[in-house]
Amino acid sequence: MILITNNPKFQKDPDPRCDTEYMAGSYRDVLIVVRDMIHQGHKLLSHPLSGSVKPNETPYKSILISKSTGSLDVDSLQIIEDSISTCDKFMKNPVKYGYNNQDALLADFSEIDHGLIEVAIASASSR
Amino acid sequence: MKLELGNIFIHDIQFDRLSRVEKGIIYINEEELKAHLLEDENIRSVSCDIAKPGESVRIMPVKDVIEPRVKVEGEGGVFPGILSKVDTVGSGRTNVLKGAAVVTTGKIVGFQEGIVDMSGPGADYTPFSKLNNLVVICEPIEGLKQHAHEKALRFAGLKAATYLGQLAKDLEADEVESFETLSLIEGIRQYPDLPRVAYVQMLQTQGLLHDTYVYGVDMKQSLTTMLYPTELMDGAIISGNCVSACDKNTTYHHLNNPVVRDLYAKHGKELNFVGMIITNENVYLADKERSSDWSAKLAEFLGVDGVIISQEGFGNPDTDLIMNCKKIEAKGIKTVIITDEYAGRDGASQSLADADASADAVVTGGNANMVVNLPPMEKVIGHVKVADTIAGGFDGSLRPDGSIVVELQAITGATNELGFNRLSAR
Repeated sequence: MILITNNPKFQKDPDPRCDTEYMAGSYRDVLIVVRDMIHQGHKLLSHPLSGSVKPNETPYKSILISKSTGSLDVDSLQIIEDSISTCDKFMKNPVKYGYNNQDALLADFSEIDHGLIEVAIASASSR
Repeated sequence: MKLELGNIFIHDIQFDRLSRVEKGIIYINEEELKAHLLEDENIRSVSCDIAKPGESVRIMPVKDVIEPRVKVEGEGGVFPGILSKVDTVGSGRTNVLKGAAVVTTGKIVGFQEGIVDMSGPGADYTPFSKLNNLVVICEPIEGLKQHAHEKALRFAGLKAATYLGQLAKDLEADEVESFETLSLIEGIRQYPDLPRVAYVQMLQTQGLLHDTYVYGVDMKQSLTTMLYPTELMDGAIISGNCVSACDKNTTYHHLNNPVVRDLYAKHGKELNFVGMIITNENVYLADKERSSDWSAKLAEFLGVDGVIISQEGFGNPDTDLIMNCKKIEAKGIKTVIITDEYAGRDGASQSLADADASADAVVTGGNANMVVNLPPMEKVIGHVKVADTIAGGFDGSLRPDGSIVVELQAITGATNELGFNRLSAR
């Protein structure tokens, strides 16, 4: 499986259980890359809106997708498109993480995103 | 399984030399309670405060709210698998300090969570403004990681509530309520002509700071399962969920689950309340598929005509909600879902991140994006500076005069997805 992430914690310390593709970019940029890969036949393995921290609060997002490709998975596409719409909806409101651009806060956002996706990686690895 | 709740009505709470409950007043020996909580080596300091209805007091950031209860008859003790042994609870009698709560506050991460105003317009949005609250403020030891900090606070709240609950062990209740769920076969025979209804409760289980525990088990590790609804009333489910104040279920919500209460109230009259199914909201999509398959399978096995499904949280759980709804409807069982909305500040955007045509009966707890203006309070318990960095807050949320402009999502319990709200559109 492949982890698409902009979380610096994975850049520094990739999880050996998956291929990590780190990208610099926004939360939304990560969603768009994942959407494009779904169009190329990858399957979504974790929910793109993991966590109750809102898309205009945290700058970090990590999403698991399948390594293998097949025909277009419509369920995956539906979930990622809905997630992009939800992200855009939140972006109309004041974007908080610009203001929250303090090292301690960024570290917390990074830790939460990391903690949540680690659980998904563990679930996926046990199969 | 039958449980009696012995309610002891509380109208005041005070510090005193001897901890006790007398004539509806809780007296607390603060030093004794603090010493009890400081037994946790991860807690550096504890202070306590009191917040009563109508006072000019703001509590923030609120982590959990817990109602003090104590088992007086029957098997087990409150918060089984956590503070008591894992014995099955939900039968016998439990005394409740009704009208009181323990509120924990602590800054686990930078952007935390949760406002409770005891008066003013903000008080209308949270049920906890109507309670006599003992606020427990814990500071962790230096360098404690977030997950350990959350656990320390979670246990401090439960221990403080249990300490207060113990004061009610030998008291005579002002009111006794009774709740009973029969075995499946007895239940069918009891009300053969009424529609059979079950409750499917979805629990927040995404991981770090987004967890719920059932008999001490981390619910994300569990398959979908069943409980007698009275088990909730003895603390079988507790909250370890720290994110999204407006729509997280505190431990108080679990103890007083309004869906359970209302279904019991209609049991034998309009419907036959069969029992409840609990399921999780994991991040891994295959976990979602499995858990929702099991919700549908158990609902079918119970032979129900309808279910009520409640959600907890935003985004990821929307998908679990729709999967549960769709799969249960596909079994020929009617569903009603309870959720809340992130519909934008103008309320015009799509409310949920997922949808299906079978989700055609929906109850909403409100729009969490709605902006509210909370006037300054004379006293703030906790950390006022978190206002700018609180969920639902933004740069400039905290005004120079101490007022706060925030989205409703900053207020603890404001859009609760069990329907435990004070305001309605009716």
